[in-house]
Amino acid sequence: MKCIITIELGTNAVRIFAFDLNGSVIGKLQGYYPTFHSQPDYSEQDPDQIFITMLYVLKNLLNEKIHPKKYKVASVCFSSSMHSMLAVDKNGIPLGNAFTWADNRAKKEAIDAQKTALADSLHNSTGTPLHPMSPMLKIAWMKNNDTQNFKLADKFLSIKSYVIHQLTGEYMIDYSLACATGMLNIHKIDWDGQALAFAGITREKLPQLVPVFANAGNLKKSYQNSLGLNGETKILIGSSDGCMATLGAGIWKTDKATITVEDSSAVRVVGNKMLHDEKNRVFNYLITENFFVSGGPSNSGGGIFEWFAKQFGDFTAAYDTESCMNSLLQEAAKVKTGSEGLLFLPYLLGERAPIWNPDARGMYFGINIKHERQHFIRATIEGIFYEIYSIGKMLNEHRSISALSVNGSFATIPFCSQIIADMFNKPVHVTKNANSVSMGAFLLAATEMGVIKSLDDAASRTEIAQSYSPNENNHHSYMKYFEIFESLTNKLGDEFAKIAELQ
Amino acid sequence: MNQFELIYGKSEELRLFPHIIEFGMVKNSSIGQNKLPKSSANGVKFFYVSEGKFQWDIHNSKYTLYPGDLAVILPGQEFGSCHDVLEIGSFTWIHIHAQQRGMEEIALDAWSSLSENELLLISKILLLNSPLVIANFNDGGKILKCIQQELFGQEVGHYTRVNNQIDELFILIARQLTRQTNPGRDFSKIFMKLEEALRRDLSHQWTVEEMAALVGLGTTLFNNKVKSYSGFSPLNYLINIRISEAIKLLKKKDVSITDIALDIGFYSSQHFSTTFKKLIGYTPREYRKNNSYNE
Repeated sequence: MKCIITIELGTNAVRIFAFDLNGSVIGKLQGYYPTFHSQPDYSEQDPDQIFITMLYVLKNLLNEKIHPKKYKVASVCFSSSMHSMLAVDKNGIPLGNAFTWADNRAKKEAIDAQKTALADSLHNSTGTPLHPMSPMLKIAWMKNNDTQNFKLADKFLSIKSYVIHQLTGEYMIDYSLACATGMLNIHKIDWDGQALAFAGITREKLPQLVPVFANAGNLKKSYQNSLGLNGETKILIGSSDGCMATLGAGIWKTDKATITVEDSSAVRVVGNKMLHDEKNRVFNYLITENFFVSGGPSNSGGGIFEWFAKQFGDFTAAYDTESCMNSLLQEAAKVKTGSEGLLFLPYLLGERAPIWNPDARGMYFGINIKHERQHFIRATIEGIFYEIYSIGKMLNEHRSISALSVNGSFATIPFCSQIIADMFNKPVHVTKNANSVSMGAFLLAATEMGVIKSLDDAASRTEIAQSYSPNENNHHSYMKYFEIFESLTNKLGDEFAKIAELQ
Repeated sequence: MNQFELIYGKSEELRLFPHIIEFGMVKNSSIGQNKLPKSSANGVKFFYVSEGKFQWDIHNSKYTLYPGDLAVILPGQEFGSCHDVLEIGSFTWIHIHAQQRGMEEIALDAWSSLSENELLLISKILLLNSPLVIANFNDGGKILKCIQQELFGQEVGHYTRVNNQIDELFILIARQLTRQTNPGRDFSKIFMKLEEALRRDLSHQWTVEEMAALVGLGTTLFNNKVKSYSGFSPLNYLINIRISEAIKLLKKKDVSITDIALDIGFYSSQHFSTTFKKLIGYTPREYRKNNSYNE
């Protein structure tokens, strides 16, 4: 019996799933790795720790679930979080830690780039917004601020490229993850000269560009031995977590959008053309020559609610944020739609789409003497989803959306899924496999093997577990509040900048 | 309550207690110059403030202490009042003979009934949190009061009770520190703290009990929490960090494999080699050979 293994190198953990060829999960394990914040705006991870954690978890999964049942591993397909950047020297040894997507040290480089005439032309050719998360800007930061390592650097990798290099000795990056570097010209499917010039590097400093279906080389003999795999197991380069979540959510038709809400969130659509947003607010990631995943990411999401729970939740049962969050959700459900006039702006971490303002900050607006604790709970949750709605609204300027698929731990809480349905006034579907990133990677690998005909076919295979219908009345009251939400956000630009300066 | 000052070798009350270098209480009614000049401790000193407000310099950090606060000065650390001025107020202090062995161990003499392991753990917690001031630590005040009564009362069993109280002081401080630094709500923060402590002292032969105590949790709860948070048991998580460090160090030519093994906490190069090979497929020696470079 053959099986497919998917490895997601996520923000905080590696998640490894094993699927049989019908797409049923036959095993899963995950392992955590830490993020270090040695200075404000710095967000780093140890690439070797990520590699070892991945190897350890993979080995345990194989020994516990795969080898005892005599499964033959046909392929191992990778996905990872986007925008990470790791410089290595000519021997492939890391020059310090990897910068994660959340690393904001390239703020100045981002502002400088936005001021130049280059901004529009870069967005047109690379399809990605100019934001400190972009590896192009991170490399530019290194050039300007860490000259020594910049000079020593032989390659600028993503974490996934580093891990694959450990396993096979190849330096590779797939198109979709390459899009997230801000340096891929998505029309020519090649590194963009202007972007490379801005970063201060030549193409030799980047890994080889390959399609998402590419074989990433052969597993080194030593790892074949320790993992109990043979040379026949294919190592597939795979894609990014965002693109895989979209594929795994079954969103492959142009009239649908997928909403992912974990700690942070994204709203995405798929199409065969990139979205040209005149304000450069959307990202466009290429999966294959015919498909673009476009959308907007948000810093708001479950992380904001977790902040609220930690500050104001009831912690009589110690150490358990989860049960505390559940009881808060129950309290929130007692309050009417719209929290009786209490509104929350969720920009505690600054915001990406659609406003792209790292200085944005949170606020409660409209507090009156009758508001109680539970109003604040509900308002906090609603505020997070108004923000997500605003990304949907932005995408609606380019595509008409008739249905939504939601995934991610926060969005799939029934209370939250219903809020999404009501705000968007569209039916919401939750897919059967809660982990749509892994599902997407499975579908990619199965397509590569020929088990599934095409990615179109693959996307249509996802099964729906639960659906939510919109409530028209709730929609109308949400829209009244959203109007205020939007105008507050727009009006507060100067005040955001001033308060952020003071913090 | 009146001021007093007992000094071993001078005061009859301390005749049985060579480990108590000094014990006293100061009631300062006027601001005075040079009453508490900076000095370095050759044992562990505890200062408990009962009245007033004091600005003290502990190991080059400035602290303001209010009634109920306890400062702990570890061997070799400097302590004294800021600007050489002693403010109005009162405090009790005790100076216990102790030595710091290596980076992580504070050794007490035979009078203490703390077990070797527990004392090691308490030392670790103290050193990890130093320089340290514990706010609102009334229990500390009670213990010092009790020691005072025992020393002056000289009733039967007072030798044992005084020593037990000093042990008790060490235990309560360690417990308070682990609780204080853990808000209890946020396991991710607790875990990060653990990660830092492990990395800072990777060569130590950590036990699960030590790790649990370090973050102020019972062993069973700690095990479950770590497992559900990280996907690994505490010891496997530690192996994870060790091997990650190993592959970094093996790429540097100048460190011997035995040194690497000991540096990252394996008790022998054999133990290192087996664990490494299980995961990587090569022994450390083979791995180095395959990843060695000329420059």
